[in-house]
Amino acid sequence: MLRVDSLALDYGATPVLEGASLEVPSGKFVSLVGPSGSGKSSLLRAVIGLQPPLAGTIETDIGAGDIGMLFQDDALLPWRTAEQNVALGLKLKGIAAGTAVASARQWITRLGLYGLSERFPRELSGGQRKRVALAQVLAREPQLILMDEPFASLDAIVRARVTQDLVRLVELRGISVLLVTHDLEEALALSDVVYLLSHGPRARVSGRYEVSLPRPRDVIKARSHPDFAPLLQRLWNDLSREVGERAA
Amino acid sequence: MNPNTAWLRKTVALAILIGVWEACADLGYFDPLYMPAPSKVAVALFQLFAQGTIWPHLIATFSAALGGLVLGLIVGTVLGAVAALTPLVGELLAPVMISLNAVPRVVLAPLFVIWFGIGVGSKVALAFILVAVLTFFTVFTGIRDVDRRLVERVITLGGGRGALLREVYGPSVIAWILGNLKVAVGFAFTGAVVGEFVAATKGLGYLLSFAQSSYNAALMLALVVLIMGFVLLLFGLTGLLERRLLRWRG
Repeated sequence: MLRVDSLALDYGATPVLEGASLEVPSGKFVSLVGPSGSGKSSLLRAVIGLQPPLAGTIETDIGAGDIGMLFQDDALLPWRTAEQNVALGLKLKGIAAGTAVASARQWITRLGLYGLSERFPRELSGGQRKRVALAQVLAREPQLILMDEPFASLDAIVRARVTQDLVRLVELRGISVLLVTHDLEEALALSDVVYLLSHGPRARVSGRYEVSLPRPRDVIKARSHPDFAPLLQRLWNDLSREVGERAA
Repeated sequence: MNPNTAWLRKTVALAILIGVWEACADLGYFDPLYMPAPSKVAVALFQLFAQGTIWPHLIATFSAALGGLVLGLIVGTVLGAVAALTPLVGELLAPVMISLNAVPRVVLAPLFVIWFGIGVGSKVALAFILVAVLTFFTVFTGIRDVDRRLVERVITLGGGRGALLREVYGPSVIAWILGNLKVAVGFAFTGAVVGEFVAATKGLGYLLSFAQSSYNAALMLALVVLIMGFVLLLFGLTGLLERRLLRWRG
């Protein structure tokens, strides 16, 4: 469980986020959407400890070593092979080198990268690099994963495949997820709860949407569920109002 | 143009240049006192090796250049890393290095002769200062400009200062140093040869000085060719090392 309460963050002189509160229950997939500059990424950075909050609290019963983060860029070490990158995450968790390498190999195969372990990041496609980054995080068996638009740069087909793999593993292992995305459809297709942030500066949570689509979930088929379109319309209208209010 | 035959085009161009030079010299267009024919330069080069007189000079220059290179790389790397990672040291050291970088460092050669004598010490010192300042800035700016995403990646995986040094800063520094190694090799030889040119009893710089004072242009050009040859050989070895250690770059 992760609870963010009345969080304020600055990005220069003005607080980008002020009084933002949200909750990620155990085993739930939660998304955070909102206009650009509303502090979505900053909120994730604060949760993982990369940015100190100005005010508010971040509470979790999960240890720092059990929280994983997937960045917008895959941020793999370019001088390490796919296998070494995945194993690094395990070694930094204190797992012995031999076990880490064996586990890294398994995760690489599990995520469809069989035969690519010895390749350097530059020798992999964008989708393959994302899978390596995902393997690096999942191999550590986290209880909570924070994701900052990790699949934004992928084309639609690869994106659908990678997210489906992610959803399958998250559902199977009961991992909690907090995803930041601009894509409202993706947020609804993947999540149990979606939070909407108002326009920054001084952004706050302006909406909470329960997504009661059945699980296990197919991220493509979920979009044709009867509940999906009305929910998307509602979210779209609320976001448009946020952006419109700002523009006005 | 076919990139696989680039070496052939370069060789042919060099052969044509040497051929034209030889023909011009034979036809009397060049004064042999100032611009001897390539064949005369080749003879001077051959004699240096045939008589065996070149070896002590080669050893002296190589010892000074390689000594300065190794010391300069080590000291420059350590100082650059400490200055980049420790703000106070960086604040104190950067202006000194900037001042050293601002002046042509070969002007220190006469001072080093006074300090370290006309032996190998003053040549090593000059090669060292040239390489160390270059390496300092390579490492200092390199660490400061290190990809923040990689740093944050390692931090979010639970890595501390040691892991950051080992996994991010270390490999980054090695990449930057190897990327600048060819320049450093050139600087090391510049330092050694200029040092010998100023005051020495042996070395390629000393031989150059001797050739100049005796108006022996053929010997001088032979020495220039020799120095170029050895530096190019070291560039080749550096390139091999770079390709091996920086395989991940492609």
